[in-house]
Amino acid sequence: MRRGSIASLLGIGIVSGGIAAAVALAIPWLPVSASKEAGRIDFVFWFVVTICIVIFAIVSAAILYSVVVFRAAPDDDSDGPPIHGHTGLEIAWTIVPTILVTAIGIVSAIVLSQDDAIAKNAMNVNVTAQQFEWTFSYPEAHNLTSATLMLPRGRETVLHMQSRDVIHAFFVPEFRENEDIVPGLTTTLNVTPTRDGTYPVICNELCGLGHSTMRSTVTVMEPAAFDKWLKGQSKAVTSPSAATAGAAVFKNNGCAACHTLTAAKATGKVGPDLDKLPAEAQQAKQPLASFVRTSITDPNAYIQPGFPKNVMPQTFGKAIPKQQLDALVTYLINSSK
Amino acid sequence: MAAAHAEHLEHHGPPAPHYSSRVTPGVLGMFLFIASEIMLFGSFFTAYFFVRVVNGTPWPTPPYHLPVYVAFINTCILVTSSFSMHWGLQSIKRGNVWGLRAGLLLTFLMGLSFLITQAIEYSRIGFNTTNGAFATIFFCLTGLHGVHVFVGLSILGFMTIRAFRGHFSAEEHHGVEIGGIYWHFVDVMWIVVYLTVYIL
Amino acid sequence: MTAATLDPHEHHLTPSVRRGPVRRLLLGPGFIRAGWMFCLFGAIGFGLVVGFRWWGGWQPLFDMTPITLVSLLVAGPLGFLAGIGAFDYWTRYAIGSPTRPEDHSGHGARTWHDYFRVNTDHKVIGVQYLVTTIFFFIAGGFLAMLVRVQLARPGNHFFDPQTYNGLFSVHASLMIFLFVIPAFAGLANFVVPLMLGAPDMAFPRLNALSFWLLPIAGIMMLSSFLVPGGAFACGWTGYAPLCSTHQPLGAIFFNQGVQWAGASSIMTALNFLVTIITMRAPGLTFWRLPLLVWANFTTSLLVVIATPFIAGSQFFSMFDHVMHTAFFDPNNGGYPLGYQHIFWFYSHPAVYIMMLPGFGIMSEVISVFSRKPIFGYRLMALSLMAIVVLGFSVWAHHMFTSGMSSWLRVPMMVTTLLIAVPTGIKIFSWIATMWEGKLHFNTPMLFALGFLSMFVIGGLSGVMLGAVPIDIHVTDTYFIVAHLHYVLFGGSVFTIFAGIYYWFPKMTGRMYDERLGKLHFWLTFVGFNLTFFPMHLLGTEGMPRRVADYAPKFADLNMFISLASFGLGASVLVFLYNMITSWKNGPIAPANPWRALTLEWQVSSPPPIFNFDEIPQVVGSPYEYGVPGAQHAILAPSPTHAVEEVAAP
Ligand code: HEA
Ligand code: HEA
Ligand code: HEC
Ligand code: CUA
Ligand SMILES: [Cu+2]
Repeated sequence: MRRGSIASLLGIGIVSGGIAAAVALAIPWLPVSASKEAGRIDFVFWFVVTICIVIFAIVSAAILYSVVVFRAAPDDDSDGPPIHGHTGLEIAWTIVPTILVTAIGIVSAIVLSQDDAIAKNAMNVNVTAQQFEWTFSYPEAHNLTSATLMLPRGRETVLHMQSRDVIHAFFVPEFRENEDIVPGLTTTLNVTPTRDGTYPVICNELCGLGHSTMRSTVTVMEPAAFDKWLKGQSKAVTSPSAATAGAAVFKNNGCAACHTLTAAKATGKVGPDLDKLPAEAQQAKQPLASFVRTSITDPNAYIQPGFPKNVMPQTFGKAIPKQQLDALVTYLINSSK
Repeated sequence: MAAAHAEHLEHHGPPAPHYSSRVTPGVLGMFLFIASEIMLFGSFFTAYFFVRVVNGTPWPTPPYHLPVYVAFINTCILVTSSFSMHWGLQSIKRGNVWGLRAGLLLTFLMGLSFLITQAIEYSRIGFNTTNGAFATIFFCLTGLHGVHVFVGLSILGFMTIRAFRGHFSAEEHHGVEIGGIYWHFVDVMWIVVYLTVYIL
Repeated sequence: MTAATLDPHEHHLTPSVRRGPVRRLLLGPGFIRAGWMFCLFGAIGFGLVVGFRWWGGWQPLFDMTPITLVSLLVAGPLGFLAGIGAFDYWTRYAIGSPTRPEDHSGHGARTWHDYFRVNTDHKVIGVQYLVTTIFFFIAGGFLAMLVRVQLARPGNHFFDPQTYNGLFSVHASLMIFLFVIPAFAGLANFVVPLMLGAPDMAFPRLNALSFWLLPIAGIMMLSSFLVPGGAFACGWTGYAPLCSTHQPLGAIFFNQGVQWAGASSIMTALNFLVTIITMRAPGLTFWRLPLLVWANFTTSLLVVIATPFIAGSQFFSMFDHVMHTAFFDPNNGGYPLGYQHIFWFYSHPAVYIMMLPGFGIMSEVISVFSRKPIFGYRLMALSLMAIVVLGFSVWAHHMFTSGMSSWLRVPMMVTTLLIAVPTGIKIFSWIATMWEGKLHFNTPMLFALGFLSMFVIGGLSGVMLGAVPIDIHVTDTYFIVAHLHYVLFGGSVFTIFAGIYYWFPKMTGRMYDERLGKLHFWLTFVGFNLTFFPMHLLGTEGMPRRVADYAPKFADLNMFISLASFGLGASVLVFLYNMITSWKNGPIAPANPWRALTLEWQVSSPPPIFNFDEIPQVVGSPYEYGVPGAQHAILAPSPTHAVEEVAAP
């Protein structure tokens, strides 16, 4: 190989590598990073991308160079030189990629073990997924349940995730965290949020027709604000006054998204108007208290005419602790009078 | 030359292929088929592994019982049938057509009694496919094997018909050989199924 | 009666030949008999299910799920096969009645009617395969267009979510099980026996049967759109328990369709293996095999060993659905992750089943159009074997976030990453083959170059996925969709196009239009990149896959992708036009337009009905371009053809 061809090969390589690098740098590939784990994962990402760009540059340069330089003239029927191989080269392109992928493997394994390590003071959150709803509950705060996830900044959190029906997955792009939730198993995920804000929680495993709507949010806040929220909420839901407790449970579980209830300033239209509960109970020919309770724990037991089946989540019976359920029922009965 | 060639075309025959291996295509094909059959059983055993080892399902799940002794007798029947199969094949290799016929017939009858015993076992076992993972795996593994016995029996049936019609001879007995390999495979597979499902 | 007189090859005419024309039409093999036998077998299946349920006292007697499965999806298709004549010979053999004399009337194609019969000629079967698979490519591509219509903007309600899920599930299943895998089998069917110097495959009737299973599988998957509840909608991966217990009837159309396609693929692979082992021409040792044959040999090993696992996984899923077994039902002792392990134990090797034959095509095309021997022939063959072996040890890289035991992740990551090494060897060797060659940019070569660059991108994104931390972030996002289209479209489909153009003259005896071919390439290449490259970005930004609707911030990119994909779809029209018009009235092709050395080019285009008048004698490597006086094989001179091809020594 002449020196000139080496130079031009190098030139093409640098240009195509440069273009690839520019694409990599100019475009904001990754969403903001909002967790400690995300930072490490981003490091692996860019580490591997760099290797890939170098390889891509080499390969594309060699191809482009060949296409330009070794193009046969239209009437050239001759053959190329009969080169059958070159042991040195063949060994080189076996060894070098082996080294590179080994490096990738080592870096990945280290990051993986770091991300998997669980701190001692980690907070626990139970996650229940079901077609097509999320419920989060805080075992350290009287099993307070919530339809959205609230997390304190800087504190490691372990999510213990269970599914009621099919496989779902918990995915927050800003956390770079993703794990399936498999019926019959409890899977876990560690997150240490580092950035305040509200991010989407995405169900990331095909789980049926509502898969694309199975969304919630996670809000990361100041530890102090979180403690205040947690205390306030758990005090409210365990408060002896059914009105305070019930109102809090109603709010945390996202009932307002679907129902109208004047006392809670809720105006949802997906489900029946809960201001009219007594009338509806009569229509169902059931005593009010038990009607309300079963409607929450087993919504499909009685379907209010004109409303769809299987829309109201069926998780509440399991997710809401007994006490809070009592409070919720009392609250609904009282406020619908 | 041209005329000879025209005649060659007339005859429409392909040139005789060149055999580049000592194994005959039929036997090699059967062995490869058995390789993929083993993998099919392998996938069922993987399911068995997940249910029994990973999930730790009690085996058999109370209150059910497995008729280990009946199945043992069945095992003996099937193993014996392998010998009669072998005897039939050896007979025809020596040109003994009646030995082949008797061997095949015996094998067929033993296979049939195996299948009938298994059907009776199914009907009296006291649980069915919907009774949990243990029952599922039991029926699917033994059922998969049962299907293979059925296929093996059909092949045996065809071989027997042909044997009685005099299609096999000391020189030409490929059909028996290949069918026989399959039957031996079905037997060996049963031993594995019996050990894993009933004994272990 | 002695056995000798009953040799199966020496028999008298079958009764059906003597029958009158009407009875022959009804009773002779063909579509009419296939029609009524489909109904007959279907009715028998129906009777069996209902009878069995009645006998067992099960309620309800007329349960649609088992009835559909047994009568429509299993018995009916068997009846169809019997009717079309796929079992005729074996049935006669089995019941010991005289078999038909081998007059080779089922061999070769004289009119186009012969392509619609059970034909035992590997060349006819090859063409049948290719035409059928291209049909399903268009069907699957059409579904992809509908997918892109739905995704063109957020909040689109063109399709309801369940229908949308059905669209991409059927799209992927058709593309994988009825396009890429069988298209390679079709090309190899045509080429491999020729390359081996064999008159046909080892088991021609089995070969015919393998083909006829395909339309059954494809129609089954497509027709699932018509059943109540809609098509199967759980992705081509059909994860349990969603697919096994939470889906309408359509799910079993997938389960069973995969069984037919899988059976076809196992039988073909078995046929290839036996053919390659036992029917090589004298002198054709393993180290002299063209790399295409090597590629199909290794692929067939993968198929024979791995495919039974997908059969297993679909059986289990189907049993859970139809017989209420508990394979994957956690409330009843089942283990949902078991499905994924069993499925991916097949489906990862399956991605190499979809790539290795393409590697083989690439080796042929690149060597011929560079006028140089393949660089490092032995290492090329060995790296195929290495991919086969490694390919069995990486399945759980699809399950890094599935909740499986976490200790499995690092070993699976290591093996996954290691696959880059043998694949890299192949890429670098192809480049070295082109180096200092005399490159001719005919359409097959253009697609080969397109493949080289696109597959490297897809492979590198695969390496990124192989690194667990990256996969945790991008799994089940559009990054995966980008990866899989780069390797499947940029990899497999480009090589299929290259192969079709390369052997088009041999198959049809006519040349394709080079200008249209190049136009097709450029439209595909540009359209492909515009469609699929932006998907990487969608993925890293967090747009999940398999969603009918998405966050508004992804709107612009999705609109762009949809528009580009329609352009990509249009490029397929150029291809179709080129194929159809060239087949009808393209210029007559010479025997060896590419001046290639492998055996298929040493006979006429299209090849004579039995390939060779006499089995050729192989004397050297198939890639000795540039070696003066080198020869791959010596063919017997024949008065009708091939005289001029045999160079004087
Ligand atoms: C033809 C099909 C094909 C091929 C060949 C490949 C090849 C590879 N694939 Fe891909 N893959 C798919 C089809 C394919 N894949 C499909 C369909 C899916 C999605 C399934 C679904 O969920 O629906 C998938 C998904 C998939 C995943 C799972 C992602 C997820 O769901 O979370 C992973 C993870 O590891 C992966 C990895 C790889 C790797 C490492 C390779 C390697 O074999 C690539 C090797 C090639 C190269 C690396 C390039 C050339 C090499 C060099 C130039 C040498 C130098 C290189 C280095 C040193 C890095 N693939
Ligand atoms: C070989 C395999 C293969 C091929 C060739 C393709 C080809 C294409 N694929 Fe496919 N795809 C898969 C395999 C393949 N795909 C797989 C395995 C999945 C995963 C599924 C899953 O999640 O389970 C997938 C998923 C998938 C998705 C993600 C769906 C989702 O997750 O929600 C999308 C979205 O854009 C997509 C688009 C396309 C497009 C636009 C093409 C185009 O290239 C198609 C081009 C071809 C044609 C268009 C047909 C011929 C042309 C005509 C008929 C002319 C008329 C057409 C018009 C212009 C209207 N594919
Ligand atoms: C995703 C929407 C949704 C959410 C969230 C939801 N519901 Fe409902 N709900 C419905 C629908 C739809 C119905 C009517 C169908 C039925 O009866 O099951 C309903 C019915 C009811 C009924 C029976 C009323 C009647 O008139 O029949 C009660 C009581 C009720 N919901 C209470 C609640 C409470 C308490 C919460 C929160 C803990 C809640 N719902 C959350 C959708 C929802
Ligand atoms: Cu839950 Cu997708
Ligand atoms: Cu894979």
